[in-house]
Amino acid sequence: MGLLTELKDSVSRVTDRLFTDAEPKRIGIYGPPNAGKTTLANRIARDWTGDAIGTESHVPHETRRARRKEDVEIERNGKSVSIDIVDTPGVTTKVDYEEFTDEMEEEDAIRRSREATEGVAEAMHWLREDVDGVIYVLDSAKDPITQVNTMLIGIVESRDLPVLIFANKIDLDDSSVKRIEDAFPQHKTIPLSAKEGENMDEVYDNIAEYFG
Amino acid sequence: MPHQCTNCGRTFPDGSKEMLSGCPDCGGNKFQFAPSSGTTAAGTASESNAGAGGDRTGVAETSSGDDSEADPDGVASRAAETVRGWVSSGSPDESTGGSTRDATTADPATDTATADAATTDTATADTTTDTTGTDTTATDTTTDATASETTNIESPSTSPENAERGHASESASSSSETQPGTTSAAESEGFSEWPDSARRPEDRSSGTESGADQSVTAQSPTDQTTATRSVTEDQSVTADRSAADDRSVADDQPTGATDVETNAHPVESEDSAQASARSEVVPADDLPVDAGQDGDSGVVTDVGGNTEAGADSRGDQPPNDGRVVSEPSGEQPSIEDLRAELNEQFESIKIVRPGQYELNLMELYNRDEYIISLQEDGRYVIDVPDSWHDGADE
Repeated sequence: MGLLTELKDSVSRVTDRLFTDAEPKRIGIYGPPNAGKTTLANRIARDWTGDAIGTESHVPHETRRARRKEDVEIERNGKSVSIDIVDTPGVTTKVDYEEFTDEMEEEDAIRRSREATEGVAEAMHWLREDVDGVIYVLDSAKDPITQVNTMLIGIVESRDLPVLIFANKIDLDDSSVKRIEDAFPQHKTIPLSAKEGENMDEVYDNIAEYFG
Repeated sequence: MPHQCTNCGRTFPDGSKEMLSGCPDCGGNKFQFAPSSGTTAAGTASESNAGAGGDRTGVAETSSGDDSEADPDGVASRAAETVRGWVSSGSPDESTGGSTRDATTADPATDTATADAATTDTATADTTTDTTGTDTTATDTTTDATASETTNIESPSTSPENAERGHASESASSSSETQPGTTSAAESEGFSEWPDSARRPEDRSSGTESGADQSVTAQSPTDQTTATRSVTEDQSVTADRSAADDRSVADDQPTGATDVETNAHPVESEDSAQASARSEVVPADDLPVDAGQDGDSGVVTDVGGNTEAGADSRGDQPPNDGRVVSEPSGEQPSIEDLRAELNEQFESIKIVRPGQYELNLMELYNRDEYIISLQEDGRYVIDVPDSWHDGADE
């Protein structure tokens, strides 16, 4: 990160410490495209701050810049946990504009593709520099064993960051939480549907426990 | 000079780490990547340069060899003419003229370095043994493909050339096969058939077969050996040199080298027999490496005429064939190696084409730079860690 950013961060952290007991941990919401990261981020933000973080879309790579919602206060069992939520662009190893051409003009698709690629770069940079914990969101209706998932979770593990795996979209018929649990047995997997708001209590319990 | 500071215009070689901490001259932290053929060539060029250097030297040698071989040239030209007659498709005049031109131009032109190397290789192959051509053709096509990507101009010429090369290589292989006996007849037949489809030669070679390929490659060494034996001519020497060069190149480029070597060793025994047979048939030919060369040169000239490098140079440069074989084979792995190397250095994002990207997540994760701004034409902007944009981004 740049000097300015670091300065800003350090200043904000100092001020945070002045006004709160602990500095809020910055929790990055990671995952492949279209796993429901932004939907989850919006769900959390709306539940605890009333604001949304980003635009949700069924078209992959809707989130192409990392967005942060600071000081999200989550109260659990009389205890308050303050976190910064970073909604990151979906991480992938290939971006192809033809994936979007059904939804938009080719020119726009190409631009979206380029921005999505930049977004992946930004997400990876955030993962390296600015994240204290990771919520890894997976579409439970899809095979979780992919190069991207394995690599990202491996990176998170290598950094000893606390990580929760969210098996999202349990409202879908093809959903299989067990498939995700089996794929990453070393981490706690929490089933949920961010879109429908299912099982959000367990989600917040675990967020408070892991990242509080 | 793939990277250029957008502020002061200073250029950096591909893989330079100077720019990671900003431009040392002006402190600028934005660099543009010039994806010109030259740049990609630069990557491939490193190898190709090594190869090219060898090729060039080879060419020079071959040229000297050509001078000495004035006789063989005449033979080659005759053969070429006959071959031309057989092969309706080829435009012999252009081939010879064009080929020489190409060869000459190729030397100076770094852009076409890979293509040049291929052409020179083929040319050398022709002189030494056309048979190697078959093996090399595949690699040549690959190299050509890369060349086409990098340089638009060459691509059209190369594509036809490849086809022609295929013919030539086929014809060469056939010639090499038939060489022990009567080369001309076999060649004529082979030629008539070959023109139909470029790939057939391989099949045919497979007919005589995979074995044929080996025999061909083997023959090239044998030819060389025979040449050296029968006549210690400049050409033979050059051929040997080229072969040695080729092998060394091949060594650099593992797969090709191994192929060449394996092929060469078994072949040599055959070669001696073939050489003896040749000497019996035509002593004069032995000197110029003719039996193989005649047919080969003819074929080559046709091929060259069709597409590229001068048939003359090829006929002269037979020794280079070894290289050609080794290089093409070597080039594929080399390209992969280069890609891997690039991945390690800068290619955390590969622009397949505008709108299509391949990302190296580990490289992205390991980068110090904050963000890469991609541009449609393959240029990119690096925001070095100290960039002001970092603050703005947030």
